[in-house]
Amino acid sequence: MRVSLNWLKDYVNIDISPHDLAERLTMTGLEVETLDPVGHSLQDIVTAKILSVTRHPDADRLFLCRVDAGDGEVPVVCGATNLEEGILVPMALPGTELPGGLKVKESRIRGERSAGMLLAEDEMRLTDDHKGLMILPSDLNPGDRVSHALALEDWALDVAITPNRPDCASVIGIAREIAAITGQKLKRPQIKVTASSTPIEDLTQVTVDDPLGCPRYAAGIIRGVELRPSPFWLRYRLHISGVRAINNIVDVTNYVLLETGHPLHSFDYDRLRGNRIVVRRAEDNEVFTTLDGQSHSLNAEMLMICDAERAVAVAGIMGGLNSEIFSGSTNVLVESAFFDPVTIRRGAKRLGMSTEASYRFERGVDIEGVPIALERALMLMHQLGGGEVAKGFIDEYPKPFIPSVISLRIEKANSLLGSSISCERAMEHLKALEMEVEKLGADILQVTPPSFRVDLIREVDLVEEVARMEGFDEISVTYPSIKSSDEVEPPEQVMAETLRETMVGLGFNEVINYSFVSPNTAELLMAGEESPLRSFVPILNPLTVDQSVMRTSLVPGTLETIRTNVAYGMKDLRLFEWGNVFIHTEADTLPHEKPFLVAVMTGLFNQKQWYCEERNVDFFDIKGIVEVLLRTLGFRDTLFKRGEMPPYYNPEISSRVYLSDHAVGNVGQVLPKLMADLDLETLTAYLFELDISALLERTPKPVAFKPLPKFPAVFRDLSLIVQRQVESGKIQEIVKREGGDLLESVHLYDLYEGGKIDRAEKAVTLRICYRSREGTLEGKDINRLHETIIERIGREIGARLRET
Amino acid sequence: MKEELLQIEKKASDEIETIRDLSELEQFRIAYLGKKSVVASSMKQLKALPPEERPEAGKLANRVKNRLQKLLDEARNRLESGKTLDDSLLDVTLPGREPARGTLHPITQVLKEICRIFVRMGYSVLTGPEVELDYYNFEALNFPKDHPARDMQDTLYVSDKVVLRTHTSPMQVRVMESQPPPVSVIVPGKVYRRDSDVSHTPMFHQVEGLLVDKGVTLGDLKGSLTSFVHQMFGKDTSLRFRPSFFPFTEPSAEVDIRCVICKGKGCRTCSNTGWLEILGSGMVDPEVYRFVGYDPEIYSGFAFGLGIERIAMLKYGIDDIQLFFKNDIRFLRQF
Repeated sequence: MRVSLNWLKDYVNIDISPHDLAERLTMTGLEVETLDPVGHSLQDIVTAKILSVTRHPDADRLFLCRVDAGDGEVPVVCGATNLEEGILVPMALPGTELPGGLKVKESRIRGERSAGMLLAEDEMRLTDDHKGLMILPSDLNPGDRVSHALALEDWALDVAITPNRPDCASVIGIAREIAAITGQKLKRPQIKVTASSTPIEDLTQVTVDDPLGCPRYAAGIIRGVELRPSPFWLRYRLHISGVRAINNIVDVTNYVLLETGHPLHSFDYDRLRGNRIVVRRAEDNEVFTTLDGQSHSLNAEMLMICDAERAVAVAGIMGGLNSEIFSGSTNVLVESAFFDPVTIRRGAKRLGMSTEASYRFERGVDIEGVPIALERALMLMHQLGGGEVAKGFIDEYPKPFIPSVISLRIEKANSLLGSSISCERAMEHLKALEMEVEKLGADILQVTPPSFRVDLIREVDLVEEVARMEGFDEISVTYPSIKSSDEVEPPEQVMAETLRETMVGLGFNEVINYSFVSPNTAELLMAGEESPLRSFVPILNPLTVDQSVMRTSLVPGTLETIRTNVAYGMKDLRLFEWGNVFIHTEADTLPHEKPFLVAVMTGLFNQKQWYCEERNVDFFDIKGIVEVLLRTLGFRDTLFKRGEMPPYYNPEISSRVYLSDHAVGNVGQVLPKLMADLDLETLTAYLFELDISALLERTPKPVAFKPLPKFPAVFRDLSLIVQRQVESGKIQEIVKREGGDLLESVHLYDLYEGGKIDRAEKAVTLRICYRSREGTLEGKDINRLHETIIERIGREIGARLRET
Repeated sequence: MKEELLQIEKKASDEIETIRDLSELEQFRIAYLGKKSVVASSMKQLKALPPEERPEAGKLANRVKNRLQKLLDEARNRLESGKTLDDSLLDVTLPGREPARGTLHPITQVLKEICRIFVRMGYSVLTGPEVELDYYNFEALNFPKDHPARDMQDTLYVSDKVVLRTHTSPMQVRVMESQPPPVSVIVPGKVYRRDSDVSHTPMFHQVEGLLVDKGVTLGDLKGSLTSFVHQMFGKDTSLRFRPSFFPFTEPSAEVDIRCVICKGKGCRTCSNTGWLEILGSGMVDPEVYRFVGYDPEIYSGFAFGLGIERIAMLKYGIDDIQLFFKNDIRFLRQF
């Protein structure tokens, strides 16, 4: 809420600087977000009396004026349409700088001398009024400083009102808070309505059909009022508060709303059929046009203000076009009511509207403030527009307000705060906030909060009030002792940490993509009809289509990241992301959230260096990463097997990843067509996905120490020629199986194709390490075993020894 | 024999110049001075010489042996002190053969740092669902249906009952529901709001903290968060606790730190206030205890929530929140 400091000063003495005030308010719970000077830098504007007005001889729309600005007669050329002899207007003399930077100079306009500029309100940035020159009150003298005479210098405070403090959504509310925290007394505005002898009951009746939706409804009437622009002081205050001035009647309802926090509505009395008010629920599909010209379809949850025949306003939200004040209005019915917060909130949500009125009714206005706001409005309307106010007002209020009474245990308050505030001190604080406090023994206070404090219901609410008034700064710092627990660290976190650190060590940069994606990502990944990639969790109110479903895979985000970076000329990428995918299921209310680790490599494996040539990334680079990761996690049973791959992998250059016979992920080249779809056809990308939940189901074999070997090892190299389609893993498998206890390790270190080797074949060289735990191996023991192995390999996969 | 010895001496003194390390030197020693070396065998052959030739031959053999020993010792001294033969060849400014090294996302780094601080204080780390029941995200945190407090967070809905969590606070309820007090947890994670502009992204990160036990006070909350701020931003960073409002805490406090950019003088980052809001906190509201079945007459506690992007921006001087999720490698490699 934006509020004028001068306006606040009407209700409370403020003897601290605006900055100190902002600080005090902020530190007691009303955060002042900005503090702006208003109407400053107008010190040099003076009052000028217009002595004569004649047409400019050489311009149709300009006038020549002689004015007295306190220092003799001077000529001014002016184009305003409201020039009149004898009026007082603001004037900038030569040398004056206007807000906005325009420097006024003496000049010649179409040949005529002009020694200054006569000003409209908007030229001084006071309001946005540019209908004509600002007319100053006639009791000023030529030469008077306008800023001083009209108290233009002000400050605007932007105060953030938390949802629990609707009582502060008004000038008086904030002034009351200032009074409490600075030890001042609140000065309420004097309300004195001069009424005619016609009793209100003769003019209208109010029927409340729904007392739950409308626990209190008051109405007053002013007749014969003259609609005109409001005086400057009122328009200026509205302007500072961000409200547009319209006419004196509408302006007064807005002014009183800002002043008291109580929303009012003015009806054109003559347009109310039967001159009466009925409060009832709307009918389903009833159509109603609000005063902003919008047509709405209603439902039975909404509360309507009606006349004898039809709806005239949506209660607490907005008035109707059919009954609003217009230029011909003379008789006005003013409504001041209390509406049920939930009803108003549902209605406003349903209509997609939020107004100054609905904002306050939703949060809860002061039910006891209903007549005060009404009388204040009638008084101001009468002051500004004349006419006569009907005697009394209607007040439908079947169940009067019963204040809540709350017990506050001082010891409880202190034990929650860690403070030692005395009972007397707490009483002071609460009384300063206009609560009635009674001492019920040494330690207990009985507290009755005022009707406007709708947030104070429980003991703890009062504890907060005491703490706030005492100042959070006054509460001393202590340190809790935290008990140790026997909880183990969740395995997923341990794994996340290990994998992330390892990926960084392996040269990968971590990325974080949004968890929501476009549903088109399923098409991009060529997902089949039944694919879980299509089990999207849709968002009902997404910001954009591109963020309208939760991701079922991290792959689209990763590919998009490649695209972003390639656009910046960065092609050699190693990226990874750790994050959840979200799979919708019919069975559960919440989707299944499953963590995945996804990584890609593109471009060069390494740049050309002084010690090596450049090289492109290939399948075995990314496969190696997967091997290192799984080994780092302690797994010793990683296997790569061809199998049915998701459609976004190149089926020729990809593999499934297993721990024993347990599938845990995929690795391979991204399908070239997919890269082309992303306009990345010149780039080859390698990808792996690890399903973390699948990994977590496997427990790595615990490390069991093996005694260090006491006897020397024997190494034998084995060069074989096999058919090209034979997988090298098969050869190693046979070696391991046949080698038994004596085999320590087998390592494939050379692969050769082409040259002298037949095109259908390849040469593979293994280094086999044999060792016994019992003693030094003799050549002949090894030879026998080695030959058995060669023989088995030959028999099982048709390999033969390569001749050297 | 004389000829032979002189030849050896010559060969050895040439060879010693080419030795580059201690293992080569050992080979040299074995070859020239070892038991099977030429020098050793010459010594043995002395006896076979005619007696008149022996003294001269013996003298020569000893001289050669001493000379070789001297060469060996000199070479050893040289090699042990790390000198090369040619003292100008190594260009230390050539790029080293650097293994590739990646980076953790700055958000992850800040999350880790925050978690480490609280874990040292004794908190456990937990995570929770990102798509969450309205019940946990709002209702059990004392945001009733049709309450204006819900306007504080613009929500992305999956259905009437399911939302993308707008904060990490739902885990407060889930944790308390699943275990009796005492509770001391922190919950890092992604959260979502329907908000996207210069200073907001629809997804961001928070760390939630919750401590419930007998006798936990607002003073304890101040102590814990003061300690956190000092560890995160430095001992000389002052902070202030401002009364505020959250439906699930009472009293509630927002915590500001002295602007790390201008040190409180006022700048654009802190909107000239000299302060930066970094977290929301408060004493757990009894209404929340009611939902989880804790007795507020026996237990009390505090909760807090930190915005990670904000802290990362302050820590690294990042001026655009959107950068975190663009994943521009030129950005990521800076951390």
